Amino acid sequence: MAIEQLEHGADLSLRITATTVEQAFEQAAHGLFSLMLDVVTVQPRETYTFHLEAPGHEELLVEWLSDLLAQKDLTGLVFSRFEVRIAPIETGLGLDGKASGERLNPKIHSPKIEVKGISYLGLRVRGRRGRWMVQFVVDV
Amino acid sequence: MNDNRILERVSLSEWLLPREGPMRVPGRIFADETTISQLEEDERNRVEWSALRQVRNVATLPGIVGAALALPDVHPGYGFPIGGVGAFDPEEGVVVVGGVGFDINCGVRLLGTPLRWPAIQSWIDRLGEQLFRTVPAGLGAQGELRLSIAEIDHLLAQGARYVIDRGFGTADDLAHIEENGCIEDADPETVSMRAKQRQFRQVGTLGSGNHYLEIQVVEELLDPEAARLYGLSENQVVVSIHTGSRALGHQIGQDYLKEMTAASRKYGIPVPERELVCAPIRSPEGRQYLSAVACGVNCAFANRQVIAHLARSVLVNVAGCASEEVRTIYDIGHNNVKLETHSIEGVSRPLLVHRKGSTRAFGPGRVESPNSYRPVGHPVLVGGTMGTSSYVMRGTDVGMATTFGSAIHGAGRALSRKKAAKRFWGETVVSDLAAAGIQIWAHSKQGIAEEAPNAYKDIDCVVRAATDAGIARVVARLRPIAGIKG
Repeated sequence: MAIEQLEHGADLSLRITATTVEQAFEQAAHGLFSLMLDVVTVQPRETYTFHLEAPGHEELLVEWLSDLLAQKDLTGLVFSRFEVRIAPIETGLGLDGKASGERLNPKIHSPKIEVKGISYLGLRVRGRRGRWMVQFVVDV
Repeated sequence: MNDNRILERVSLSEWLLPREGPMRVPGRIFADETTISQLEEDERNRVEWSALRQVRNVATLPGIVGAALALPDVHPGYGFPIGGVGAFDPEEGVVVVGGVGFDINCGVRLLGTPLRWPAIQSWIDRLGEQLFRTVPAGLGAQGELRLSIAEIDHLLAQGARYVIDRGFGTADDLAHIEENGCIEDADPETVSMRAKQRQFRQVGTLGSGNHYLEIQVVEELLDPEAARLYGLSENQVVVSIHTGSRALGHQIGQDYLKEMTAASRKYGIPVPERELVCAPIRSPEGRQYLSAVACGVNCAFANRQVIAHLARSVLVNVAGCASEEVRTIYDIGHNNVKLETHSIEGVSRPLLVHRKGSTRAFGPGRVESPNSYRPVGHPVLVGGTMGTSSYVMRGTDVGMATTFGSAIHGAGRALSRKKAAKRFWGETVVSDLAAAGIQIWAHSKQGIAEEAPNAYKDIDCVVRAATDAGIARVVARLRPIAGIKG
């Protein structure tokens, strides 16, 4: 399992490799919050649950990450632990997720930069049994 | 002549990307030789994010008029390049999400003050410190104005006027904002509840990344007549605010990427890159997106208005300025899509002009400029870096004819954020800037490293390319003396 930051002209891009697609999504979320703050300092005091649906893996990844960004603004929470389950549904894929974290405290969490949105540019979710790769660009 | 060239040189700073394959129009790039060489190298190396490829992709979209344009601060964006312009026929053309981006109506407000440099030098620290304490900035910062959903709806429909009516500014501010601070046809019903809820705590916040509030000095006047009309004089202290529509704009961008993906399929529009999802301008989906963008635009005008008024309060309390002496010189966005009238081959026609990281630069005589600026055209506000000059420019007749009245918005990045974070250290950047006479207050040291002045192209070269191409003229050069960063 690895998170790698890629070169991108103006913004930030991450590539995650993992053994399952669920782990890849969890690490993508971890990577997203690592761009914004020192995620190691965030204690999992409160947990939010998500249910999301999308036609495919790439759209589901955008839904998942953009939903986390929205929750950050709506609740004032930042997250450090994530759990994802993905299963086929009639219209594509469903994601049941949990994100745990606490209220942002700039004195503790060393804020870095705010992510504005999850781009479709260079968006990739590729995988087969035992090896998954997720790649995305964020607008900052 | 270099046979390996992808672009054909038209003049000193204008290059042609010939029409080929599915391109409906050619590309035109206004840039210096260094920028052009970099663009061509990226294209040859087939880098994943190529601005030239993005120009080519924009040129394939239905109803595009004239050419897909890139300006001297061009660099890779999402769908459109940053520094990109695309004008579309309202009947046959499309509205494109990537032509606006996530930070709808991100832009610059310039405030004039009665203060002079170096008279304020001995207490610039106190002024900067108080601005840092007063203007919310950085990840998770919250504004002092908390609005209910109904109030957010009013703000989206009324723009800057709404917050001025709430006590954050004056009628004179409104007269000096692009579109008088409000785009009509902004229907709050086209904006999701989530977008409105996210904005609840964010009105009047600066954000992070390349957003800033700077105290600057008018270092040099290059167009004294325009400077006089704008109210700029040598050694005058001014305040520059660079921010956008905050979370509301970000959520509109995210929501409509999805909506317009479906619309592109519905109308059978081939999309060469997913961020170029679009809908016919006249379609229900197109009209709905344009209305949502108008809401985002109004939100950004209101956001900068609140911040400007907070800055004004500091200038009154710390510097002893009279409130009316701190006046808005201009406020203009650089991530926008607007219906405008342009003369094409001598015929006046309406066009939907997308400007992504590019500033409207209407030359003399246009009714869109405030009355007092009309003889020279409205100011074009070009942001520098923490350590380099910003510029006030103005539009030209050449720009009206070649770029749909558009000019640059900033320096454009030279290094990726990853490279900048590796190469520079936040504390060192701050101390180097202090040694150069520029005080920085920042919430994030890593943010400072990524925004280091050397991570950007040389703004002076970018401005020179714009003036060489004739698309804008320099009115004044502004030198930073203090900066607030998220």
